[in-house]
Amino acid sequence: MAGGGASITIDRASKRFALAGSSEGVLALTDLSLEIAPGEFVAILGPSGCGKSTLLRLVASLEQPSGGSVSIGGAAPGLVSARHALGVAFQDHALLPWLSIHDNIALPFRIAGRRVDEAAIARLIELVGLGRFETARPRQLSGGMRQRASIARALVLEPEVLLLDEPFGALDAVTRRQMNVELQRIWSERRITTLLITHSVDEALFLADRVVVMSGRPGRIVREVVVPFARPRAPAVMRSEEFHHLVDDLTAALEAPEPEPSPSTGGEAIGSGTA
Amino acid sequence: MTAGTRNALLGATGIALFLVLWETVGQLKLAGISWPPLSAVLEMLTDEGRRPLFQRALVATLEETAQGYLWGTTAGLALAALAHLVPPLRRGSDRLAAVLNSVPSIALGPIFLVLLSRDSTPAAVSSIHVFFIVFVSMGSGLERATPAHRDLFAVLGADRLKRFRRLELPAALPALASGLRLAWPAALIGAIIGEWFGASRGIGILIINAMQNFQIVLLWCAVLLAVGASLVFYGLLTLLERAAYARFG
Repeated sequence: MAGGGASITIDRASKRFALAGSSEGVLALTDLSLEIAPGEFVAILGPSGCGKSTLLRLVASLEQPSGGSVSIGGAAPGLVSARHALGVAFQDHALLPWLSIHDNIALPFRIAGRRVDEAAIARLIELVGLGRFETARPRQLSGGMRQRASIARALVLEPEVLLLDEPFGALDAVTRRQMNVELQRIWSERRITTLLITHSVDEALFLADRVVVMSGRPGRIVREVVVPFARPRAPAVMRSEEFHHLVDDLTAALEAPEPEPSPSTGGEAIGSGTA
Repeated sequence: MTAGTRNALLGATGIALFLVLWETVGQLKLAGISWPPLSAVLEMLTDEGRRPLFQRALVATLEETAQGYLWGTTAGLALAALAHLVPPLRRGSDRLAAVLNSVPSIALGPIFLVLLSRDSTPAAVSSIHVFFIVFVSMGSGLERATPAHRDLFAVLGADRLKRFRRLELPAALPALASGLRLAWPAALIGAIIGEWFGASRGIGILIINAMQNFQIVLLWCAVLLAVGASLVFYGLLTLLERAAYARFG
């Protein structure tokens, strides 16, 4: 399939956070490699605290890796962010409460110092189904509508990469499923390289081209599954036997006990000069 | 009955009780001759013959207060914004403001008197009071933006000025409005203290004259004028604060 956007390359990245009273700190990610092709939708699945949000923050240039490297289309994430080519939606919708929905979606233009493209905003507002709510303020909308606005805002600059950090994590199950169906539809129109962080197996399988399962402390990849369903996907996909089979498979991978450290991760000391 | 009306009713009852108590203590001279009944004070305050006196004093004090309020607010806002945008300045400006605030304004008065004209001393003392409150409220307001909003601006590639203008400044407005409300009474006190160093007219002058001539009722009139000037603007600024919280909170 012909996709848009840039590739994401995560090469043996690790992230260690400083912790008061500990000289070693906390190792959130270790030796993690992942390659995302242009136009590919990858979902990262994992239990809470497995470092999956840290992974997204590395790609979003909100954190720097302690080891290894992260690049977007060959460039450092900080440079991609500086040229306003990242789109992001968090679990917290992060809409500005003093701006209308229209102005919230126009915000990335203003931050980038570009002319506000009214046609693009109108198209997106229509696409996410907020047609009658352009002048409303975020607090007047439901949780699901706020997340739609936040996704429209993430897409408005036509970013090279779309980063979604549990965007529907705070919604109820019914709204969440509905939002998944809508995001699938919206994404199928744009096909931007997307990294989705989630702890919902159904969500990952329904939306992504590839699902990556992480295990925690320190975070590493334990399983990868290429999702076989053709696009665009109808909600009926979620009722198919193959879908259920994959859900069971991934759930088992999520619940598996911590794997034994493999020799390659156990003895990482390349380039260290001391005995 | 809603909680709002009950609160209002309780408040009104409290004020009425206080006024009745004031009148009773005054009538029965329970606190000696320096506590006149409320009715005597109100009678003098509404006396046609004294109206020009009170009006002149009130207008002069309000002018000085407004001037001090404006200067103090401008200086407080400017320094808070500067300290926010230039982090190395932050600690120094915090210290400067704290030191300035720890000097009693009664001690600053004579210095202003030497540096400035007698008639601008009240506004100067007033502006010092306002400056500190506005500086502190604006400084803390600029830190109010949530981590999620900061992350969003970072990912979208906002530079420091864009983040300031589009995120931190609007997010600071509720805290600033609270500061502006609290700064008004402080500005008024500053102006009155400033007048004691030799202004030509004002509520502070009225207070001093009344004290020196032992005109107890006149003294209470001046106090009531000061309280009124404080409460009216305090009330208006409370409305401004509510609007700021509703829009930007």
